[in-house]
Formats: sequence, C-alpha cells, structure tokens
Amino acid sequence: MDKKMSIMIVDDEEIVRKSLFHWFKKYGHVVEIASSGFEALEKLVKYPFQLLFVDIKMPEMDGIELLEKVKTEYPDTLVVIITAYGSIESAVKAMRIGATDYLLKPFNPDQLSLVMERISVQKRLVSEYNYMKGRLEKITRFDNIIGQSSAMEAVFRIIPEVAQSDSSILLFGETGTGKELVAKAIHAESRRSHLPFIAINCGAIPESLLESELFGHQKGVFTGATRARKGFLEVVSGGTLFLDEVGEISSKMQIDLLRVLEERKITSIGSREPVEVDFRLISATRRDLKKEVAEGGFREDFFYRINVIMIEIPPLRKRKEDIPLLVEHFLKKYSQETTKKVDHITHDTIKLLKRYDWPGNVRELENAIERAVVLSKARTLRIEDFSFLRSSTVPISRPLSLRKMEKNHIQQILEECSWNVTQAAKILEINRVTLHKMIKRYNLKRPDNSS
Amino acid sequence: MSTDKRRIGIVPFGEVPEIALKVIAAHISACLHLPSQILPSLENPEYALDRGRYQYDAGIILETLESMSFKDCEKVVGVLNLDLFIPIFTHTFGEAKIGGQFALVSLFRLAKNPDGSSPPSSLVYERAVKVALHELGHLFELLHCEDKRCLMHFSGSIEELDETPLYLCRYCSIYLQDELLR
Repeated sequence: MDKKMSIMIVDDEEIVRKSLFHWFKKYGHVVEIASSGFEALEKLVKYPFQLLFVDIKMPEMDGIELLEKVKTEYPDTLVVIITAYGSIESAVKAMRIGATDYLLKPFNPDQLSLVMERISVQKRLVSEYNYMKGRLEKITRFDNIIGQSSAMEAVFRIIPEVAQSDSSILLFGETGTGKELVAKAIHAESRRSHLPFIAINCGAIPESLLESELFGHQKGVFTGATRARKGFLEVVSGGTLFLDEVGEISSKMQIDLLRVLEERKITSIGSREPVEVDFRLISATRRDLKKEVAEGGFREDFFYRINVIMIEIPPLRKRKEDIPLLVEHFLKKYSQETTKKVDHITHDTIKLLKRYDWPGNVRELENAIERAVVLSKARTLRIEDFSFLRSSTVPISRPLSLRKMEKNHIQQILEECSWNVTQAAKILEINRVTLHKMIKRYNLKRPDNSS
Repeated sequence: MSTDKRRIGIVPFGEVPEIALKVIAAHISACLHLPSQILPSLENPEYALDRGRYQYDAGIILETLESMSFKDCEKVVGVLNLDLFIPIFTHTFGEAKIGGQFALVSLFRLAKNPDGSSPPSSLVYERAVKVALHELGHLFELLHCEDKRCLMHFSGSIEELDETPLYLCRYCSIYLQDELLR
C-alpha cells in the first residue's frame, strides 16, 4: 500500500488551487480541485478522497459548512482548514467540529510539510492497526479448486508442469477467482512442498510495514522494534513466497525486490550483513500490469522478473458451467459448518445463479451460498433465498426515476423467472392481471431466445 | 537520444554573479552527466512583481519562459537574485513543474544564514546548486523524496537545505536513469 494520498483542494481562488495542486503533485499524490463546497461534495460522491484542504471563506457554502457535511457523510475523510490571519476563531470552531489541522495563509512551506507529516503518521498508525487486527482475525481456508470447464481444465493442466520449475509465476485474474488456491496448488506439487508457503497480501499491508515484514529488522531501528525480527523473505527459507496484489506495491519496493530476485540476498533494516535467501516467487494481480508498464505505472524490469510464466485464471462468468459444481461444494461445506440441514437447491435457482455475472467471482458465490444457508428455513434453497442478488444485478450508475426503476425491476424478475408470469407475479406480490397490465404499459418484450 | 538534445540551458535574470552560473553548470555536468550552456541574460522580470508582497511570482515567470524559445536546450534553469514566491506560500527557493521544461532558482534567501549572519560565498553557491539540481530533478519527473539523505527531499528552510546532500538516493538515481533513457 502506497504512502500517496488522494487530496482535494477546495478554494474559490484559482491561484490557491493551482499552487497547492502543483505542490502536492511533487509528492506524487492524486490531486483534484474544486472551486466551491458544492463541487467538492459532488466530487466526493464519485471518489472518496482521503484528505481535503478547505478554504474557510468561500461564497454560498463556507468551509465550516462543508466541513460539517464532510464529517457527517465521510467521517474517515480528513480535513485541513486554510484560513487568513484574523479568522482564528473560525479555525478553532473548525477544530472542534473535527478538522484535523489548520493553516494560516500565506504559510511557510515547512508548515505545510509538518501538517502532511502529522497526517501521514496518523494514517500509517491507523492502517498498521487495521492490518494487525486483520492478521489476527484471519481464518485460513484450505479449499480445493473446483471446476470442470475447459477454462479451468487448462489451469489444472499447467499447474503440475510449472510446479517442477523454479521460475517466477504471475497469476492474473479478477478478485475472488482463487489465485491463492492456485498458488498453493503449485507449491504443493513442487519440490518445495515440505517447506513453508507464505502468502502476503501486498494491497492490505501498509508500505511502512511491508518492508519490515519482508526484510525483517534489527532491534531498536525504529519505535516499536523492541527485538530483532526475521522477515518473510528469510523465514520462507526454501519454500514458496506468494505476493498477492503485487500491482499495489510501491516502485521503491519493486526496486528492492528486484535486487533480491537478482542477488538472492537480503539485508534486514538496520543491519549491514546480507543474508542469503532461497525461495520460489509466485505473484498475483488483478490489474493489467503489462498496460501499466507501457504507461509507466509499473517497473518494466520488475515486471519481466516476476512474469516468467503467466497463468490466467478465468472469471466465473466465463466458466458458468462450473457453477452447479461449486454450489454443490459450498452447500456441503456450509451445511456442515452451520449444522443446518440445507442440502438441496432447486433447478430454477441454479438457473438464476448461472444468469448472474458474479463480479466478485467464486468468493462472491461462496458468500451468497453461505448467506442463503444461514438464513434459509427450509432444506432446499430457492430463488427467494437469493433475492439479495437481484438488487446487485442492476448497477445504479445514476439516479433513476421511480417509473424507470419499476420498469427495470419488473423486467429483471420476468427474466429470472424465464417469463413465467405466474411465478414473477408471486415474487412481485401482485396478481397476474396487474402484471400483464404493467408489461403492456412498459412495453416489456420477451427476448427471442426465451422459451 | 543524443546528448545534445539533453542540453540544459542556464539563463540569468538581471545581475547574477557569473561564478554562481558556472558552479551550477559544472554540477549539472558532474552530478547529472548532462551538457549545459550558460545563455545570454534576460531582464529582471518586473512583470511578475507583486506590489503587495514585494516579491516575484514564480508561476508568472515560468509562464513567460514557456512562451519563449530556447531551441538548443531541452530544459532551462532560470537564475535570479530576487525574492520568489508561490501564492499561498511565504517564499520559495526554487520552482519547477513535474516534467516541465523550465525551472527557477532564487539566490535571494540563500545568502543569509538563519541567525542573520552572512555565509561564505562558497556555501551560497553550494545552496544554489542544490536548489538547481533539485528543481531539474522535477523537470525529469522526480518527485519529492522522503529520504532526508536525498537531493530530492524537500527543504523549506536554510537549515534543511544545508543538511540536504548533493546526491540522489538509490531509488531517485534509478528513476532519473529511467527517465534519461526514455
């Protein structure tokens, strides 16, 4: 996880917006500008900025009003107030409402650096806390990879082949496709199988921790380093290191890891003595790193080093024939885990699950089955048990009118019921005559291929 | 890319000690391995004077440079003996946009120590070189670096500038090489 932040500068004076924009760009932050509080709120809806610099004096909506709104709707967004000499009272008020800090303009560049340093420390502590909390709560699951589709067959064929070599592997696939399971399978098939398999989610570890997690540190090199600790690169000793979300690591860390891969030596933080390391690297990403290399967002030398062999894991929507098998597997698993006797699923429900696109892939399907099993009152899962999926099948990208929403909803239910009006009317809790009237009113048409 | 194309121009505004320009040019060659050339002097940028602050707006000077042609130089560093500012900030030692063509270096605040005493001229030139190379780094896409032992670390005060080294850290050196090979 990078130290770079997403920042929005909210000021009605163009010159201020411009100055701060270029300033923050020099630190590599993602910077946006807004000339009013209204514009800032509009932009916040589209993108959750981490930090706002807000001028206190603006026409229509002033900085205090914007701060109040931001703190109510986006409590995690930090706000620094910019104020002129003579409006200290407002600055004090802003701090009471929840501003992180304030700056009196014009300010010394050092003062801004100090504010940013304080924010960075605060952000680091929060993300480190969350990571540590997550690490303690993490439940490791050792499921098998399920699939009979030709797309998965290709993956199964390649696993034993690549497992025998020591080349670096890059697994490419959307989130939830089971990249870690494939990595574990490769490790299990390799000559390193009796040695450790260590998985690190680079996207979940704050950059400040990733370095010490990987390289280790000596006693006393930073606050909290009460004793020396070996890094995962050393602990893995002979095994397989799995770097998930490798696209998230900073370019500095890419340089460091490239060096390790080339020299097979590491030097822990605060030490001068390099230690030899031996491991097989498997990385995974859901991002198009090749494109990012071309655009300069990812280091080319590191990319070629981790991408000796690339395995693409297909998304669930491209192997829908595996859904019945996966459903059966998860049904069995959660019936056992929850000790609820829910071990059947209707044919229509399977058809519904196959129609859904599963943007969260196998993980989303697993969660859906778990939820349905937990909430089900019968032994057999039915369409109604997956009603929560319907709301997610229509992505709402912009506000819709009530009429349009109603039309979309009816259309969707009809499609899910293969245009069985009686069944659809039951789900919609209206009578068939009313549903027929609505079909006519909204001019809804049955697709040609429906039976 | 030929080295000629990578030529860095150094353009003084008004009266600037020639030795300062020569020291900057020598360090561009020694530290960045790029050819440099001292260009004819331009007039003091009175158009950028803010009469309320009695300081010169760095942004306006850069915009004016952008409208001029320096066809033999890929990047140009302007050197002034005037107090520069960026609106909202109290002052700046130098200014450049990431990936831009022009940078500015002000000697004005470099010739005084924090305690008010005057430093030896060698120290003033060393400070000027640090600012010039730092701003040139921005022109070659380098961002501010967190490592205090790197030329690209931001220095807002003379004390910090004096602590900043004349060299890049390992990472920034690699980024600069990447950029120069592009």
